[in-house]
Amino acid sequence: MEFASQKILDVTLVKIQERVDHSTAKDFQNALKPHLDQCIRGEQKKIIIDLGGVDLMTSAGLRVLMIAAKTCDKHKAEIAVAALQPGVQEIFKISRFDLILKVFPTVSSAIEKLSPEAIEEYKTHH
Amino acid sequence: MTRIRLAAKLENLEKFINVISIFSDQNDFSPDVVRRIKLSIEEALVNIINYAYPECDGEVEICYRKENDSKLILEILDYGIPFDPLSLPKPDLSGKLLERKVGGLGMHFIRKMTEEVHYRREGDANILTLIFSK
Repeated sequence: MEFASQKILDVTLVKIQERVDHSTAKDFQNALKPHLDQCIRGEQKKIIIDLGGVDLMTSAGLRVLMIAAKTCDKHKAEIAVAALQPGVQEIFKISRFDLILKVFPTVSSAIEKLSPEAIEEYKTHH
Repeated sequence: MTRIRLAAKLENLEKFINVISIFSDQNDFSPDVVRRIKLSIEEALVNIINYAYPECDGEVEICYRKENDSKLILEILDYGIPFDPLSLPKPDLSGKLLERKVGGLGMHFIRKMTEEVHYRREGDANILTLIFSK
């Protein structure tokens, strides 16, 4: 799966670049794993998943996000998703995933909310 | 009625989805509806592929037709263990994070993305009917 992650001060930003379905859900889980492991160890408190490159997500993808959200919640970390395409927005809405994860229209609005310190750093480079 | 019948294997999922989405495009279903059709097929077929044939290999068939120039009727057939996916309990979506169960969303998507969804058993076949409107 195509993905990239970067750290912006105290925020980890993970960008997913392809659809998340039954065949790629495991890769999605693996992309998030190192960052969730850091949450478990208390080393990371803020994760933003940029879904701007994801044109389709099935229930397999939502399952990964649900587990990620529960992990973060258990270890007092914040997790958010940003830049959802319309198809993904729709499935978030029908499964009420707005109750599970924070959802932001853009990556910068997500960073701004989770870490006002990180937003300046992010804007400098984007 | 046109049909496509293939082995119930994950590697055939794309073939099913492509055939039906091309048919839908050609019959002027909007991109949004085609997206819902593709997602619904994926969710239904993944359930069949994973659970219908626990002991052996099997096949899945989709029969599809347009009705009245405004509806797409899909009948998804498998010959596996008798199972009504509509009998699965609906997920509780109101619960806060820790109360929500991890699974159960596939059929919920199908219910929400279709105009109608029905199940029947005929002989050895489980038949899930999905109806989409333009």
